[in-house]
Amino acid sequence: MTRTWSDLDDFQAFIDGGGMVEPNDDMPAPYRDEVFRFIEFHANSELMGGLTERDWIPRAPGVRLKQIFLAKTQDEIGHAHLLYQVAADMGLKTRTEMLEQLFDGRSRFHNVFHYQAVTWADQIAIAYLVDAAAFASQRAVFAECTYGPYKRVLKRIVSEEGFHMRHGEEMLLRLAEGTDTQRSMFQDALTRWWWPAVQLFGPDSDPNDPLLRWKIKSQTNETLRHAYIQKYVPLLQSYGFEIPDDNLRFDAEAEDGKGAWLTTDIDWEPLKATMRQGGPDSRRRISTAAANYADTAWVRSALEPKPVAA
Amino acid sequence: MRTFEVFLKRPGKDEFRHVGSMQAPDPEMAQVLARDSYCRRGEGDQMWLVDRSDVVEVDQEVLATTTDLAHRTNDGSAVAARRKQLRAEGAS
Ligand SMILES: [Fe+2]
Ligand SMILES: [Fe+2]
Repeated sequence: MTRTWSDLDDFQAFIDGGGMVEPNDDMPAPYRDEVFRFIEFHANSELMGGLTERDWIPRAPGVRLKQIFLAKTQDEIGHAHLLYQVAADMGLKTRTEMLEQLFDGRSRFHNVFHYQAVTWADQIAIAYLVDAAAFASQRAVFAECTYGPYKRVLKRIVSEEGFHMRHGEEMLLRLAEGTDTQRSMFQDALTRWWWPAVQLFGPDSDPNDPLLRWKIKSQTNETLRHAYIQKYVPLLQSYGFEIPDDNLRFDAEAEDGKGAWLTTDIDWEPLKATMRQGGPDSRRRISTAAANYADTAWVRSALEPKPVAA
Repeated sequence: MRTFEVFLKRPGKDEFRHVGSMQAPDPEMAQVLARDSYCRRGEGDQMWLVDRSDVVEVDQEVLATTTDLAHRTNDGSAVAARRKQLRAEGAS
């Protein structure tokens, strides 16, 4: 007999009591659906992110940076690999179905992978801002995460994302201490990437978000977004860069005198467009990913078990 | 394809831990893929791969019988009460 719950209230009591769900449990269908969707989205984002990193391996300046980007690519594809396994084990879609739907443009992935990285400085802005945003949001999932297999692979993913973040900070430091051309390259990249990175956290959470109730997410989108802004506005300014927000201001009175950075009201239209595959680079990204999948068919066929010769 | 459960042991006194699952055509290939998926930075110095079909999941009913056997544990409260009493008497 597997573990089972009489209804959603019974299941909620289990979750609230610190319970952890495992794949063979007879989990409520809405939990299975929502958690699966969330993990599939995460897996797709890792894969699309890994392919972005890969684009820059040949163009990364110098051997050390090429090695770093090779390793990052392997990490991101590895993250996707672990997550697709966890998602497939939930029994709703096979890995092949998830991949085919992604390459057909029928699946969603993070907004930031719908934009073009124009120069090398964009790639650094991604490594600095996007990996940090991914790190913060994944760590908030890891903090509670009631689905056992997801929590176990997140442990590894979050620790690797920490390396990416530190690589990103170091690369930013190099550009910030570099020539005027390098500094202006980064400023342009920051202007392009600031809002997509902030929007990665998503619009304010629905207070009834079942993922909060079931402790997949430990914090609301707005809490994470706010914390991110508080951390990265002063950091970027300390390097002498300008945040592309005319209404940005520090309110010393905010939060009981602790003070807080307040931004302009966020326009969520660009984020919504990416969720419809209507971002500036969505089409190219998806077709590149599909082409890569087709190019690597030989690896999958080589891994098929061969009949044993008599 | 076969599915393997991956257990990794960090160097030192840590125990083996389940870190995830993966697919491979055979145990030989599984070793290479498991290293690439789970041990790229020396996260472990020993690894077990268990074919998922060999895992026996223990029935909830079998496990349930062990939860009401209070005589198998002892929280030490009787002895603690005695000590507390002795301390109180010594102080007065
Ligand atoms: Fe990642
Ligand atoms: Fe990353």
